[in-house]
Amino acid sequence: MNHFDIVIVGGGGAGLYAAMEVLNTNKSLKVAVISKIYPNRSHTSAAQGGANAALANKDKTDTVDKHTFDTVKGSDYLADQDAAAVLCEEAPRVMRELENLGTPFSRMEDGSIAQRPFGGASSPRCCYCADKTGHTILQTLYEQCLRLGVTFYNEYFILSLEHKDGKCQGITALNIKTGKIEIFPSKIVIFATGGYAKAYWNRSSNAAGNTGDGQAVALRAGIPLKDMEFVQFHPTGLRKSGILVTEGARGEGGYLFNNESERFMSRYAPEKMELGPRDLVSRSIEREILEGRGFDSDAGKYVKLDLTHLGPELITKRLPQIRELSISFEGIDPIEEPIPIRPTAHYSMGGIDCDKTGRTIMQGVYAIGECACVSVHGANRLGGNSLLEILVFGKIAGHEAAKEAQGFSTPSIPDTVIDKYTRYFRSLAGESQYERYAVIREEMGQTLADNVAIFRNAKDMKKAIEDIKTLRDRFKRVKLHDTGKVFNTNLINILELRNMLSIALTIAAGAYVRKESRGSHFRTDYTTRDDENWHKHTMFKLSKGELKIDYKPVTMGKYPLEERTY
Amino acid sequence: MDEKKEISFRVQRFDPQLDTGIYYDNFRITIEKGVTILRALNYIKDNIDSKLTFRVFCQAGICGSCAMRVNGVSKLACMTQVWTELETSSENDLILIEPIKNFSLIRDLVVEMEPLVEKLKNYYSWVKPKMPASEMGKKEFSISEETFQKYDQATDCILCASCVSECLMMEVNPEYISPVILLKSYRMNVDERDAMNEVRLKKVASDKGVWDCTHCYKCVEHCVKNIDIMKGIHELRHEAMTKGLHRSEGAKHAQAFFNDIKRKGHLVEATLIPRTLGIFKTLKMVPTAIKMFFKGRMPPVFVRSIPHKRYVKKIYKNLKKGNYSSKR
Repeated sequence: MNHFDIVIVGGGGAGLYAAMEVLNTNKSLKVAVISKIYPNRSHTSAAQGGANAALANKDKTDTVDKHTFDTVKGSDYLADQDAAAVLCEEAPRVMRELENLGTPFSRMEDGSIAQRPFGGASSPRCCYCADKTGHTILQTLYEQCLRLGVTFYNEYFILSLEHKDGKCQGITALNIKTGKIEIFPSKIVIFATGGYAKAYWNRSSNAAGNTGDGQAVALRAGIPLKDMEFVQFHPTGLRKSGILVTEGARGEGGYLFNNESERFMSRYAPEKMELGPRDLVSRSIEREILEGRGFDSDAGKYVKLDLTHLGPELITKRLPQIRELSISFEGIDPIEEPIPIRPTAHYSMGGIDCDKTGRTIMQGVYAIGECACVSVHGANRLGGNSLLEILVFGKIAGHEAAKEAQGFSTPSIPDTVIDKYTRYFRSLAGESQYERYAVIREEMGQTLADNVAIFRNAKDMKKAIEDIKTLRDRFKRVKLHDTGKVFNTNLINILELRNMLSIALTIAAGAYVRKESRGSHFRTDYTTRDDENWHKHTMFKLSKGELKIDYKPVTMGKYPLEERTY
Repeated sequence: MDEKKEISFRVQRFDPQLDTGIYYDNFRITIEKGVTILRALNYIKDNIDSKLTFRVFCQAGICGSCAMRVNGVSKLACMTQVWTELETSSENDLILIEPIKNFSLIRDLVVEMEPLVEKLKNYYSWVKPKMPASEMGKKEFSISEETFQKYDQATDCILCASCVSECLMMEVNPEYISPVILLKSYRMNVDERDAMNEVRLKKVASDKGVWDCTHCYKCVEHCVKNIDIMKGIHELRHEAMTKGLHRSEGAKHAQAFFNDIKRKGHLVEATLIPRTLGIFKTLKMVPTAIKMFFKGRMPPVFVRSIPHKRYVKKIYKNLKKGNYSSKR
């Protein structure tokens, strides 16, 4: 049996940074990264635009304070200000550390890390490598983990968090390659499993595996989730596929046009224009389309993102991937024609409730990155702050966990959990099972996209809750057709759907009870922010299998509540 | 409405628990224009055969999970349009789907990727930071545009292993370093922030390393990110020679080529082996040489120079002056 000091679940940027930091803090610790895919495939690689840090390379007047304020304001004041301050204070250090470790950042003329403007930011502080920033950061961190000799368990799917008397005992996971259920007793478990926006299934920019596994496992183990109703819709997904066009495209000077050839953002954010925060730009696009000023096509309605005026040189140098994606998936070369785009579910602000060190309410359990809710993004995340978050809190949690691990007693997990899952898998293949996972999954995505998307109202959300509850009942009869052991992706699809259904209910239920509009959560029946009643975090907990909702105050700091205009 | 077509997907199957060997399944589905190979496979899995096994993740060409052979050629399924493939298909409305080559099979289209990870480790595919631990994160290196340009393209690599799948040398020797690791080695070795250039170079220039590449250019042809991998390989060889790492068989072989062409304008094949392997190892080859002699395949020992050798001389002169380009 494998005994560990620290098990990190998830091998994206947050998990890898944490693993690196654990070994940098204490080389003698036994640490493992368990990931359902090869770490270098993680969704961190899809982050294109960059990571914010007040390096002041481009704008000498930029400060950590300005970055913090932008973050808090961008969050529509739902972020915890102590956490946001940590995020922005640590930003320059982690960015320089990454640079020292070989991340191939684009450069300014003087050889320093290049920075570009990004949505909702008062200064150009987004550090980037062309439009492949996340990819290069992930590669760098993976390379460094290989250098440091981190133990990897690749292609293992987490089944449960094991705990006793409120203390972490480790995890169980399915070895995808062999079909064996394995136990990993560990003093500390760090969740770094990424986001849950794939619950919107085909209406999402996310990878197929961003299914909220960590959040669902934590919820089942009694750890609360927070602010799950806040799902960010990225303004510019490609019309046909929902694949992302980086905010960097607007950062470099791209325009948004409606069918009247009007730069419509002038009506919604006269000052910031296309570089308004994401929630605002997404709503503006959606409104243009609803009011008949969008373009029409077989693949749905859309508006245009125009880069043609930027010229071929800038596009090929700074946005090469966007050009490739646009040509592959829309048949359109952005050098010659505007790109058809529409908003797409993109990022989960909510997640596992934790503090600014990554600790959850359970001893020995941490959460970092998109799967966590610290909260630094509040009701709306600023572009360039997600890569930053995984780095900063990956580092902090890795360091904290390494210091804490020695103090904890040796964990143990009884073998009986293995039988429990063996029986469960067998039951899925039973004769009374007949529902198809793909049908349930499609309907789940559809009801979320139709009823809990950019514009929300009580009637629609109620329908979504009922739909999801029905789908959860149907899921009990879902059929596992593949009874093989080796690389059973049919089983993985079903386990992921099980997790997504848990998460989908929290999204819809949280949105339904929050009777105000804040950040990404916009209600047509409660159109304004209501600080008196709703300036608080939503907390989700399972009690006897039922979802219970509670609240928690927002930590304030030096920035008082203000109206948010751009 | 978009155009639609009925298309057959002939997919290689293998389940180690049931099958003694590979076989092919045919799936006939109706597909509209604009659908990718990966979406078609997802459709088959979700609606026809949930046992069909392949890796899928980002679906946007950046994670590298879904490399497979489509009509015999390694590429990313998520970035490949079904209709484009139909144009190159040998049979009407049929698309052949197979796993990438040069890795062992796990199931259907899924192959074992661990050997690639092992090679990443064996060849130090990372930057060993020059920045001391105490200074880490305090300041940036200043990197000129010129230095940045050296590694920029190489960092596009997503480790999809299409190049490994297409590499001719990998077919012969699975222990060969492989194009992707050579690319990584080049990328690390031109990075000013790295502190183990010499160690890495020595490893790369040893057996099964950079000298074993046969210049087939398949890796460049099939790189899904259009990276000029051969440029990296040439640069590594150049670096090995300039840094005095010319005692390996590969280096001696290259040097013998260089000298022959300079002297004669073409190869003196008969003495190429002893000059590469040395006398002792060459003796072991004598039985092969005898066999070749009787089959009439023995190259002549005395070789005349080519006519107009002065043009060759001119090339060498230019090389010496540094008037060369590693571009193809």
